[in-house]
Amino acid sequence: MTMGESGDKSTDFTETPFTVSVSRLQGAVVVRLVGSCTMEHADRLTDQLVEIASQPKPLIIVDMAGLDFIESTGLGGLVSGYLRARKNEGEIRLVSPPPFIHHILQLTRLTQLFQVFDNLQKAIEQP
Amino acid sequence: MKQFKEILIENDLHAAKGPEEDILRDVAACGYCENAAFAIKLALEEAMTNAFRHGNKCDPDKKIRIRYLVTTDRVEIEISDDGEGFCPDEVPDPTQPGFIDRPHGRGIMLMRAYLDDVQFSVTGNCVRLVKLNK
Repeated sequence: MTMGESGDKSTDFTETPFTVSVSRLQGAVVVRLVGSCTMEHADRLTDQLVEIASQPKPLIIVDMAGLDFIESTGLGGLVSGYLRARKNEGEIRLVSPPPFIHHILQLTRLTQLFQVFDNLQKAIEQP
Repeated sequence: MKQFKEILIENDLHAAKGPEEDILRDVAACGYCENAAFAIKLALEEAMTNAFRHGNKCDPDKKIRIRYLVTTDRVEIEISDDGEGFCPDEVPDPTQPGFIDRPHGRGIMLMRAYLDDVQFSVTGNCVRLVKLNK
């Protein structure tokens, strides 16, 4: 789903393909989410995050800058990853959620589980 | 005067995308702002997922029914499944301590947060969603 700029009253409902890409950076695993994480794709997010979080002491940075939609199953995937990472003495941090996704994180109080950063470097360097 | 449209689909998340796209196309045509459109899309995804997973228990032999009306003033959508229903009052608040780290249980809360009215039938297998064009 692509959204107009803030204040733009036009609507565009074209969903964008959902991709999850994984890379390593300075000891962290960076999981970059792009597109629309709709009900069809949320289970894939859960499976991939849980798998990554199953490593010993994982530091996982979820880059949400390219994410344009997420629903509750996708949020549940983040939580499942959080639980697995915590079990393995690790952590998941979130980076650059767009405003409407940040609002959902606040509304659901998931900001109590996840630290949210405005850029990748800060998220990695945070002790 | 506009009439409600009705669609019957297989219990399948991919099949659920068709009615979702139809509704959102009507929403766009009626001039809703992007925040309202986002809210309607989110609520639709939550209600469809609930019908598929919790109502119909992922059973491919069951159906999901969608009945909707989109006008320039309001959007009304009813989504029902073939399940046994549930009592929404028994679903815990996912924002309360002890529930925040649960992977499931946020769908109803999100629907209520983003829409103007969310009502469940007495049988608990039909939800009525309303969004006003403010």
